[in-house]
Amino acid sequence: MSSHSHRRYGWIALTAAAAITLTACGSDGGSDEPPSTDGEVGGEIRMLVNITDNLTQEKWDELVAPFEEETGVDVVIEGPTGQSVAESFPALLAAGTAPDVIQSIFPTADTAPEVLDLTDFDWANETPMVDTYSTDGMINVVGVGTQAQSVLYYNKDLFAEAGIDETPKTWDEFDAALAALADSGVQTPIGFASDWATGVQAQQIWHPQQNVTTPSWQAAVASGESDLGEQFLPLFEHIASWVDDGYTVPDDIATDSGTQEAKFIDGDVGIYPMGSWFATTLASSPPEFEVGVFSPPLDDESAYPGPMGATLASPYMIWNGTENASSAAALVEYLVSDEDAIVAQAQMDDFSREGLDTSTNEYSGLVQELMNSAPELVVPGNQTVGDLALPVAGFNPKFTELVQQLWLGSSADDIASNLSSWYEAEKSE
Amino acid sequence: MTAVDTARVGGHRSPARRTPPRPPRWRRIGEQALNGAFTLPALIIYVGLMVIPVGYAVYYSFTEYNGIPSQSPEWVGLDNYTRIFADPASEMHSSLLVTAAIAIIGSLVVNAVALALALLLQKKSRFNTVGRVVMFYPHVLSALIVGFLWQALLGPHGAINGLIEASVGSTIPFLSDPNVALWTLIGVIIWAQFGVQLVLYIAGLQTVSAELQEAARIDGATRVQVFRHVTWPALAPTFTIALVTSLLSLLKAYDVVLGLTNGGPGDATQTWAYEILAVSFANNRVGLACAQAVLLIVVAAILSFSIMALRRRADAGAEAIS
Repeated sequence: MSSHSHRRYGWIALTAAAAITLTACGSDGGSDEPPSTDGEVGGEIRMLVNITDNLTQEKWDELVAPFEEETGVDVVIEGPTGQSVAESFPALLAAGTAPDVIQSIFPTADTAPEVLDLTDFDWANETPMVDTYSTDGMINVVGVGTQAQSVLYYNKDLFAEAGIDETPKTWDEFDAALAALADSGVQTPIGFASDWATGVQAQQIWHPQQNVTTPSWQAAVASGESDLGEQFLPLFEHIASWVDDGYTVPDDIATDSGTQEAKFIDGDVGIYPMGSWFATTLASSPPEFEVGVFSPPLDDESAYPGPMGATLASPYMIWNGTENASSAAALVEYLVSDEDAIVAQAQMDDFSREGLDTSTNEYSGLVQELMNSAPELVVPGNQTVGDLALPVAGFNPKFTELVQQLWLGSSADDIASNLSSWYEAEKSE
Repeated sequence: MTAVDTARVGGHRSPARRTPPRPPRWRRIGEQALNGAFTLPALIIYVGLMVIPVGYAVYYSFTEYNGIPSQSPEWVGLDNYTRIFADPASEMHSSLLVTAAIAIIGSLVVNAVALALALLLQKKSRFNTVGRVVMFYPHVLSALIVGFLWQALLGPHGAINGLIEASVGSTIPFLSDPNVALWTLIGVIIWAQFGVQLVLYIAGLQTVSAELQEAARIDGATRVQVFRHVTWPALAPTFTIALVTSLLSLLKAYDVVLGLTNGGPGDATQTWAYEILAVSFANNRVGLACAQAVLLIVVAAILSFSIMALRRRADAGAEAIS
């Protein structure tokens, strides 16, 4: 190699080394002091929100308009820059351009140190499920209500045509109902959908039974008393049998949730597992048949209905690097405490709030009744904060990836085993 | 006899061999400074956009880091690389196979299709001009849009399956069967990709000597023989570039995957780039994601240099024969 080349490579190596050194020295976190919320309310704040068919930019703007009018604060609504708010927030943190308020996600082990402690605010202590979502007594996320997860929407006409007089309470009755629907010619006795929906729907069906069998199962798994794969093995066996019997087909897990919901509304689906937010979709496109809801089955009929899977509706966090903490706190207080704002949000994406009538349509009323009949509310496996958080990241996408393989011929045992292996590998990270 | 020989015979130094007088030192320094000044902007851009980001990636690949600036990276040595090779959760090695299938099959088919179309469209005519624009059009679309577009067409309830069901009473599991979904993905990538290769081949074909081709035809060569013995050798450098660029592009396949299958069903269409961006980065595992990215760079470099080395060896062999 010539001396010229030596010089050239040496220069490049020096530059790379300098870059690495800069990196090593450059990730200083700045001040540890939380921003003050005692300042004047005003100026501009950015709020990162989830944008969906129900939660449109226009509806968000309408929601914050009264707050802007009253306080003079300019609230800039921003949709996710990536696939989701969960993906966008860490990326914006890394870029140093995080929004002041973040909606729709919960803190994770990584992001929890980046959000403001709201424990000292009286209004924060009065928000729903606050104890469930607090970490070591610290409140860093607040929500507007409770969103039911374990809801099985069904087509009453198809049930009647199939000769099903009563909604199933046990797994045997559930299997019999699916068989009756299939025998009566229903195209899709139970409607699963692709992407995130497959895993979420599977968990929604399983919440009540899982929490009857192992109350606080996440804590049992985290402590090593229970195995994650074994927790879900019976569910996998049920789904595998439904696939074998043709009640759900591989095409379902390649059909997006919007299309599957449209199929339900068109009367092609017998049972559709989904959260309470589907009530808003039904209200906006009411089907011609009568819709009913019921709680997922249990082994033991006497324990029916089981605990209802539920999540904090529309969670809000404040970035602790905000330069306008007073306005951000005022906005969040308005969103989670103002009755008109709460009702407006319930109209956007159905949820319930104790002491407040948030039933905005007949379908949300049905879901509300179902929640009222549940003996308790339990959190799902993807909860990321609090005592019932699994100590792993990425549970939902991995669960979806694995559970979809039941439609592709994998056995329930293999899927359960793979889930356990994944958990052990992630936990040791 | 050359000028040098003449000089030797004559016994005196030829004017052709006389070295020009060296410019003064200040002038040489000035010229070097000027050269440096012209090079500096490009160098700054190269270092800023290439060297520093890659340097960051290499550094982070030896750390456990979540990408949040207020939390410092923790040095873990080779842990991220060990995890990739051990793959304890059996999630990364399958994506290697998917990526290899897409890169190898995709780049070969893309180049074959592009070359065939280039041969059809190389002559200048109004029809061929329209044809070139139409063929290049898919590449203008965002890869994500391409994915969503084909998902709408090929999904279980999409337009194409609707037509097939109306005709034959059944559908094709384009996106719901793991094997078919992979072939569907490769097909869509080829559709979206070949426009650039087509342009490269059309440009390459225009450099092939028309006189040589004509001479071969006059000598009685068939079309296939003209292509094999005249066109193809002249097109070889273009083929090398087209193959390398398509291979590198397909190794990074992500956007189409996201739009078309989102890695499913199960993990049937998860590529290495999908693992990096939709799994590791999405779970704030910046250290692991950087290690995966560094390995991708290394593999891409090895493949590129290997193909170019093979090309040079083939060229050297051809020159030796001639």
